[in-house]
Amino acid sequence: MKNLAFYFISLLLLASCSIDNYPAPDAQLFGTILDIDTNEPVEQDIIRGSAIEYIEHGYASQTKQLMIFKNDGSYRNNLIFSNTYTIAPVRGNFVPLTPQEVTVNGETKLDFKVQPYIRVKDAKIEKVGSKVIASFKLQQTVINNVRKIGLYAHPEPSVGEPMRTALVEQEINGAVDANKVYTLELDVAANSNVLKTGNQYFFRIGAIIDAPESKFNYAKAVRLGL
Amino acid sequence: MRLFLIPFLLLTLGCAASNDDGPGTPPAPVEEVKYDTTGVLFKSYKGLVMAGYQGWFTAEGDGAGRGWHHYQKNGRFEPGFASIDFWPDVTDYSKTYNTAFKYANGEAAKVYSPYDEESVDLHFKWMKEHDIDGVYMQRFVSEVKGESGKKHFNKVLANALKASKKYGRAISIMYDLSGSVSADMDFIVKDWEELQKLFNLFDNKQNPTYLRHNDRPLVAIWGVGFNDGRKYTIADIQKLVEKIKGPTRKASILLGVPYFWRTLGNDTENSQLLHTVIKSADVIMPWAVGRYNAASYTQVAGTQLPADITWCKTNNIDYAPLVFPGFSWGNLKNDKSLYNQIPRAKGAFLWQQIAGAKMSGAEALYVAMFDEVDEGTAIFKTKKEGETPLNADGKFVGIEADLATDYYLWLTGQGAKWFHGAGGYNASKPERKP
Repeated sequence: MKNLAFYFISLLLLASCSIDNYPAPDAQLFGTILDIDTNEPVEQDIIRGSAIEYIEHGYASQTKQLMIFKNDGSYRNNLIFSNTYTIAPVRGNFVPLTPQEVTVNGETKLDFKVQPYIRVKDAKIEKVGSKVIASFKLQQTVINNVRKIGLYAHPEPSVGEPMRTALVEQEINGAVDANKVYTLELDVAANSNVLKTGNQYFFRIGAIIDAPESKFNYAKAVRLGL
Repeated sequence: MRLFLIPFLLLTLGCAASNDDGPGTPPAPVEEVKYDTTGVLFKSYKGLVMAGYQGWFTAEGDGAGRGWHHYQKNGRFEPGFASIDFWPDVTDYSKTYNTAFKYANGEAAKVYSPYDEESVDLHFKWMKEHDIDGVYMQRFVSEVKGESGKKHFNKVLANALKASKKYGRAISIMYDLSGSVSADMDFIVKDWEELQKLFNLFDNKQNPTYLRHNDRPLVAIWGVGFNDGRKYTIADIQKLVEKIKGPTRKASILLGVPYFWRTLGNDTENSQLLHTVIKSADVIMPWAVGRYNAASYTQVAGTQLPADITWCKTNNIDYAPLVFPGFSWGNLKNDKSLYNQIPRAKGAFLWQQIAGAKMSGAEALYVAMFDEVDEGTAIFKTKKEGETPLNADGKFVGIEADLATDYYLWLTGQGAKWFHGAGGYNASKPERKP
């Protein structure tokens, strides 16, 4: 009886295998989100960050699929079918883009040129005594208010507002002066439960604009030993 | 050896010739029209701040024979029956008309008519005084299809062309397609041809102030892509644009489009053809009236403007955002709750938009409107709060009592100076020195 059950289960499994005989994804799509003015990558978050929405042509359903960016603004999908797609980065830290039609075939590189809402300039993060001090300037590219700024810390390089063990934030809720130097101080001693002396951590400066579905803009993360 | 090549050459030429006759091959390029632009004052819309000019009012006895057109309601212009919310301040006009309305002191309230040359002249004089670059003369297709409408709007246009030359203000024509049907497209083409002949519109000596853009006279077509149940299609406008440009590319075209034209949502028909038609034009002006107020402006326009501008740059189209001082249509809609529906806030709302457009990278502005008192968007001189005529159980909305009657002309002019490149302007509304 046991043998019979095994036989039937095997038969079912085999049958299901033989039905799914579609070809595997045969192409790769990759690139970077770049600042339209400086051509520098636009830093992102790996969780709750900007996304890439794409619709594969040839299907009536028009289903939206999603990809995410890495912190450095790059993205890669190694399992995508060769086809034409309508594609755009969305819900991001940049002025909305119009979706574009792209033919993906083999290794396909597609960079996005965007206007980041905020550029974090002249960013410096140093350990001074028992504090980590960040100083920077902000350049906003839209008329919306800057909502807040923050300094975030985490053991991993993908540190950001959504991924931090320690933070210090400041509400702005106004327009910023491009010449003003902002300073944020993170007290290491006060965060000794999560920031251990002798360990290394990543620190990153962020700022968010007050626009629908906007995400944080960042300077590059910096590694410091405490 | 060289002679040997000749039969091959002939064969090749033969092929080319037969290809030309083949179906689907584009015809030989037509030479584009070239205009003599010597002495032409406005060679581009870029850098200019221009307003829309309705010019649709008439007064009884002005010779237009249209009664109290656009002042009246249900055929009457008397207390309780008016379609205007703001009352024009006619102190400076040399020709005015008594109405059945009275001020609190019993004095008769007067209005003007743009059918009169001297009144239009005064408007252009104000534009010059305040540095406002000029106007788009509205041409309502549904009105000029009839004889009386055509007579009126041609007279107003004649007045305006004369005044624009006298005061060096830019002028262009804007067809407003509200209420039009597909069959009207041919009428527009015919009317446009007629106007060019009647006024010698593109003659650089007779009309040096007619606005040019991309080396050609600019004509505006307002109302393409709106999803408000219009009886003409985007495809109709596509054909209209082709006909107006013609094979010799006779004119440049500004299209008046809905505010959410780029994302094809909200007020916009969800059709990619709209983008195709926009790409065949030279400038677009999205209709922003009623799309935001002072509180929602930054949230709505803050990302919309730069995204629109980037799209237009990518597609080589110029972009003119619309700004308006406020909105009020309580009398037009018979609803007192609609008085001051979008408050002016002493110009703070207008300046917020002027600064927003400038700081987002806009290079030209469309001000809605110079003389629109029905919807209360007028920037010209209107009566102040507390000084308006009585209106039965309703009222007339006035501009804020502590402002000078020309305040909105002045403030628009300040915006124009900023767009002309003057320094010292920013997001804070400029102070008017007494």
